[in-house]
Amino acid sequence: MTSPIRTVVVDDHAIFRSGLKADLDARIEVVGEAATVEGAIEAIHALAPDVVLLDVHLPGGRGGGGAEVVAGCAALLGRTRFLALSVSDSAEDVVTVIRAGARGYVTKAISGAEISDAVARVAGGDAAFSPRLAGFVLDAFGTAAVASVDDELDKLSARELEVMRLIARGYSYKEVAKELFISIKTVETHVSAVLRKLQLSSRHELTRWAVDRRIL
Amino acid sequence: MRAPLVRSNDRLIAGVCAGLADHLGAPVQLVRAAMVLLAIGGGAGLLLYAWLWLLVPTADEAARNETRAFDPRDVAGNFARGFGARPGPADYRTGAAAGVAEGTAAEGAAAAAAGGAGAGTIAGYPDGRGTAAAVPSNGGAAAWLMRRAGWEIVLGAGLVLAGAAIVAQMAGFKVPWGTWLPLAAIAGGAVIAWMQLDNTRRAGIMDRAGASGAQGAVRLGIGLALVIAGIFAMVSGSISWDLMWPAMFASLAVLAGVALVLAPWGLKYWKDLEAERSGRIRETERAEIAAHLHDSVLQTLALIQNRASSEQDVTRLARAQERELREWLYRDKRQEQGNLVDRIKSVAAEIEDAYGQPVDVVAVGDTAVTDRHEALVHATREAVQNAAKHAGGSISVYLECRPGSAEVFVRDRGPGFDLAAVPADRLGVRESLVNRMERHGGEARIRNTGNGTEVHLSLQYPEEGTAS
Repeated sequence: MTSPIRTVVVDDHAIFRSGLKADLDARIEVVGEAATVEGAIEAIHALAPDVVLLDVHLPGGRGGGGAEVVAGCAALLGRTRFLALSVSDSAEDVVTVIRAGARGYVTKAISGAEISDAVARVAGGDAAFSPRLAGFVLDAFGTAAVASVDDELDKLSARELEVMRLIARGYSYKEVAKELFISIKTVETHVSAVLRKLQLSSRHELTRWAVDRRIL
Repeated sequence: MRAPLVRSNDRLIAGVCAGLADHLGAPVQLVRAAMVLLAIGGGAGLLLYAWLWLLVPTADEAARNETRAFDPRDVAGNFARGFGARPGPADYRTGAAAGVAEGTAAEGAAAAAAGGAGAGTIAGYPDGRGTAAAVPSNGGAAAWLMRRAGWEIVLGAGLVLAGAAIVAQMAGFKVPWGTWLPLAAIAGGAVIAWMQLDNTRRAGIMDRAGASGAQGAVRLGIGLALVIAGIFAMVSGSISWDLMWPAMFASLAVLAGVALVLAPWGLKYWKDLEAERSGRIRETERAEIAAHLHDSVLQTLALIQNRASSEQDVTRLARAQERELREWLYRDKRQEQGNLVDRIKSVAAEIEDAYGQPVDVVAVGDTAVTDRHEALVHATREAVQNAAKHAGGSISVYLECRPGSAEVFVRDRGPGFDLAAVPADRLGVRESLVNRMERHGGEARIRNTGNGTEVHLSLQYPEEGTAS
């Protein structure tokens, strides 16, 4: 990739924004910043970046935080990718922003190199899963292997389950690929498929899981 | 110290007698008997009871007022109140008052003022709590029985009285039924209605929807109907029925007019009350959050500033504080404590504190802890500890519970080690992990992933009804 990835950083803490900007590597160019829901929507529409690094908890708007920003930029979703960034542990926050359209979720504690990798991955149209998000997915879809892979949204295939479990165990994509004797590209395909299922599924168990946690 | 006069929760009708007994230090039975005697002898007891019922607050209300006045951030105020109300020498306050007169001891005045304000509310507090706690332990069963049987006792007493009256009439005495029946109806109706109002008062902020449901409305209606019927019966004794109807219409019209005029005020007061109530709930929540932040975060920040020179200490403090705050913020409230996930998380926290390396726990599913799981928890502790000791860097723990099985993966990013190369006399790994798991029908596998070590602990057990 020759041209840098144009990125907008959305977070209400100025200290965190500047720290993050310093941590990101040369592949990424930060073209804008925003601190509120309204400011973020405006900046994203004006700049049309490749990737938005988006805090889940943001002031302003109607209190919807990062998910509201994603919803407010729905028209740009094909071109601009959102990567959620949060200190939050709660499934409510994480799954809400993913279902709104974000293509990944990473915790703020991870290193600059890891965030840069995740940004590059999201910019390439793939999904960035952290161990915790993988844990939520396994919790929501259930951990039992399915006998046959239906072409439906409501189940994870045995392979996807394996990939999710390895990510939850702390494996990087590369390590997952090595472990399962598949290419990184295949891992990314599986993860993207899981992301799609998480975003689109209306499976009964997922709905109940989400309702229990007041996500839907 | 004398207990404050509050209406007790250990009650037959409204808790007046029990509260009075606590206050006077007399046996409840004696107070109740005295009240009944007073009531029979001319009705003074009834009036006294009604008066106390109206004016004396319930124990819950008193306690609620008490906690409401307590602001966790206002340490100075709380201190002054708590210690100003301490049963001190009698001349303490007069001395302070003298200080005010002389205009010399400003802090003495503050203490005296706080003492005066707090004495009424706080002074009796420990005693009030003490009696409340003592009741269930001493005569818990009896009190419960009394409460359950309350209505039966009241009903029985009423029937006995009625029977006595009938016997007296048969014996030749002239009983003025026309006066007594309506009076009894009014008294009974008032008691029913008041008890309902009292219940909603007791329920208070907590669940006013639950307490004043359909049942409450029915009871209120019955009470009102009884009172109105009683009044009608009394009045109809002196006026003829022909006059009765127009008079009733006239009074209804007047009542309706008054209601129409007063309704906006009533509505306004109701809304004010609601606003105040919700404001108070918010205030309580805010105070709780402030107290928590103060206890944990501010303290840790102060510690971090002290230890700024030691990187490891700072990291450790920050991690510990982060964990504690997360626990408080994101804790899944539906899960009860003491389950496997909690145990594994506390093990991880312990090692993290001891070695200063981040341990990330991801858990899927949860289950109650049995003896088998204890073995798994111990083995997990051993594995995480090994990783923290020998590997360095962050450690990932993944727990997966399914019906009939539980698995733990502990992964580090260290140089790794070969189990076969570990001498047989080294107890650590072999005994703690492998043998322990095998003894409990599980399995421990250790492998080098090329980029660190991963310990896989698995446990299979026959599915029980409680597993989830």
